[in-house]
Amino acid sequence: MSIITLKALLSIWMRLSLNKASLQLRDGSQHKACLSGRRTKVSPYRGRFKIGLRTVPIICIVFLFFLSGCKQEPRVYVKHFKNKDYQLRVDGRPYIVKGVCYSPIPIGKNHEYDWWSDPGKPWLVDGKLMQEMGINTIRLYQAHDDIEKVKMVVGDLYEKYGIRTILGSWLGFWEYPCPFYGDKKFRDRVKQEVADMVNSLKDEPGILLWVLGNENNYSCLGHVNPWSSEEIDREPDPQKQKNMRAEIYYSFVNEIAEELHRIDPNHPVALGNGELVGLEYANKFAPKVDLVACIIYRGKTFGNLFRSLRATFDKPVLISEFGADCYDAYSKKEDQNMQAFFLESQWRQIYENLAGNKNGAGNCLGGTMFEWTDEWWKHNPDDPAGWGGHDKASNWTNGSYYYDIKVEGNKNMNEEWFGIVALSPGPASELDIRSPRKAYYVIREFWKKPDLNNRKKKVKTR
Amino acid sequence: MKKLVAILAVLALAMPVLALAQTDTAQKEFVVYSNKNARNNHYIPSGWMGDTGDIKMNDQSADNPKNGATSIQFIYSAKKTQGQGWAGVYWQNPANNWGNKKGGFDLTGMNKLTFWARGAKGGEVLQKVMVGGIKGTYPDTATVEVGPIELTENWKQYTVNLTGLDLSYINGGFGWATTSDLNPDGATFYIDDIKFEVDPALKPEGKKQEAMPFYIYSDRSTPRNHFIPSGWMGDYGDVKYDGASKEDPYLGDSCIKIIYNGQRAQGSGWAGIFWQNPANNWGTVDAGFDLSKATKLTFWARGAKGGERIEEFKVGGIMGEFSDSDSVVIGPVLLDKEWKQYSIDLKGKDMSYIIGGFCWSANVDNNPEGATFYLDEIKFE
Repeated sequence: MSIITLKALLSIWMRLSLNKASLQLRDGSQHKACLSGRRTKVSPYRGRFKIGLRTVPIICIVFLFFLSGCKQEPRVYVKHFKNKDYQLRVDGRPYIVKGVCYSPIPIGKNHEYDWWSDPGKPWLVDGKLMQEMGINTIRLYQAHDDIEKVKMVVGDLYEKYGIRTILGSWLGFWEYPCPFYGDKKFRDRVKQEVADMVNSLKDEPGILLWVLGNENNYSCLGHVNPWSSEEIDREPDPQKQKNMRAEIYYSFVNEIAEELHRIDPNHPVALGNGELVGLEYANKFAPKVDLVACIIYRGKTFGNLFRSLRATFDKPVLISEFGADCYDAYSKKEDQNMQAFFLESQWRQIYENLAGNKNGAGNCLGGTMFEWTDEWWKHNPDDPAGWGGHDKASNWTNGSYYYDIKVEGNKNMNEEWFGIVALSPGPASELDIRSPRKAYYVIREFWKKPDLNNRKKKVKTR
Repeated sequence: MKKLVAILAVLALAMPVLALAQTDTAQKEFVVYSNKNARNNHYIPSGWMGDTGDIKMNDQSADNPKNGATSIQFIYSAKKTQGQGWAGVYWQNPANNWGNKKGGFDLTGMNKLTFWARGAKGGEVLQKVMVGGIKGTYPDTATVEVGPIELTENWKQYTVNLTGLDLSYINGGFGWATTSDLNPDGATFYIDDIKFEVDPALKPEGKKQEAMPFYIYSDRSTPRNHFIPSGWMGDYGDVKYDGASKEDPYLGDSCIKIIYNGQRAQGSGWAGIFWQNPANNWGTVDAGFDLSKATKLTFWARGAKGGERIEEFKVGGIMGEFSDSDSVVIGPVLLDKEWKQYSIDLKGKDMSYIIGGFCWSANVDNNPEGATFYLDEIKFE
């Protein structure tokens, strides 16, 4: 039974009880005085109820007993409608995740920089800009070791700007030499770390949900951070090896999800997943996750993602990483229009697939676009000399971002240019200057008035 | 007065040229070719492509023309003179215009192209015929490809539906292309009466759901094949493709033989081939097939030695302005020395728009000595 229903019942009962109390006190009069001071008509039930003031405490006790037997709605949960649509609910109300991935690494630093401890508190400057844009959620890939710092960031963003936080865990994915998902000790340690994090933060009002992993599923295919076990190594068939790794990994995620539900029934647990790869295994081995958080880079469209998910792993989906860079590798110049075009198109598809839209799959909960600010260290993470320059080189290709795919070698994805907000060096010892790009304004306007029938509209790209 | 006369004289001279440059929308037809030296011919068959040495053209063949005194005879020898394995001809305006100069015609108002064709014996196969599609500085505003077409011994009229397309600038008025695989012994064929027409009853051609089975590869010289193995990826210099191998085909007279030598010619450490529609379509052309009726793709494969490891066999997954509607992957697959059938399950997948029909990829890490393998009977079912 929902909190709202209980509140309504309590309200009706209170009114009824107070009316009866008034009747007993003023029996015979045509009007009674309520506690509110308003005058109301005499109850039509006058004389039929024999409830006195002395009976009120008894009713209260009975009612509280009744209440204790009711299951209370979690603070954040996914509602599954009869028509099979999914919707995220926060405090009983629908919540569309209008989010952004947040990693405020300043110019000249790399990912090892401890921005949580930055005396300039970048999240305060960013939170205000985000609030003005309409962002209601940030996604953090991993919490800081110092949980008090996490509480500060999560608390500041929520209390000052109403922005909630999706908090993730890499599940040891980037540990050297590789994640040992086949090793029980490794799994137990990672599971404990995640449980500790959730235990410490579950009562923070700014927490929205938890995400387990990011693109860890690719390791099952050996594409990135490959891992194995003696049992897997004994299997000669590479296809079966892949299946074995997928079973181990998704079972592990399932185990953590189950544990987190026990610790924290108030927040959903998401499975972070690169594309839809491997979700047929998640369907078998990770039924306890509440939703899938997918990383998708498919250009202007998510294609058949939403419906395909229905067929392979019928869970709600948060597009937890998507977006476009704003550097035209072919023309060799910044192109904010190009970025805005892709992002607006992607947000339109997200909205088309929210619950209640009969033309969509009804299984999308929103998205967290990549990313808030540019990160100037990303093209060459190991060379500190490059962290202070905004690198225009690219080291990966994606044909679905077709405006600049004709660049030599087809390397069109500019890792350091994904920010909705551009950075430029600020005065010494102060934060870098934040300059919202065109996408900031285009998405802000889209969120204000989502126009889903605007497929033909194109942002000028040249 | 002299000025006025001069202006009128200039206008009088310019009018025919202007009239030529833009078709009258009231005009019912616009001729590409009718007869040798006919005044209403508008395009020139100048754009020879591929194995140009394999083509002989007689544009005044008097051998049983469809209409008038002549038709155009083409003799395609399939000798791979330039080592391409294919050849074709575009009708251009002006001659040899590959989009580098302004020309062409505004054919707005026309909505179909018709032509007559016949083979010398019957059974000759045109891989495709084209309208528009020439790129360059002055690109055609539309691209349409239809095929393959198996010609009959007798004249037959063919129609290319252009309804709803932007025909405001068409430099490549008509074209044909074919391959040595489709015509291993060459082909002699005739074309006549090529023209754009107005047909008010014609409706835009939506994608029709293709009937099953739908072949990607059956045998080397069959018009049943669809998609072109044109999307060479990674170390493409490491790959040799033979679409007409006679080495123990699973069915019919030929199979596909692929040699991947793992030499890292382009430094990638991997290689693969996508079968695309049309050729080289990396999501840049709105084309492909509606294969919604397919529930699986099956193919037969074997390795030359056994143990060759193919990382992925894939359907769909090309991403571009016009992306495939879905993507399904199987692998890694260790090939046997004997033929074995593999299946890619498509149930629940959206196959309504597929430009990348099939794909394989392998890498040198798992094939340090390279890999030679064979494919046959690739089809949607």
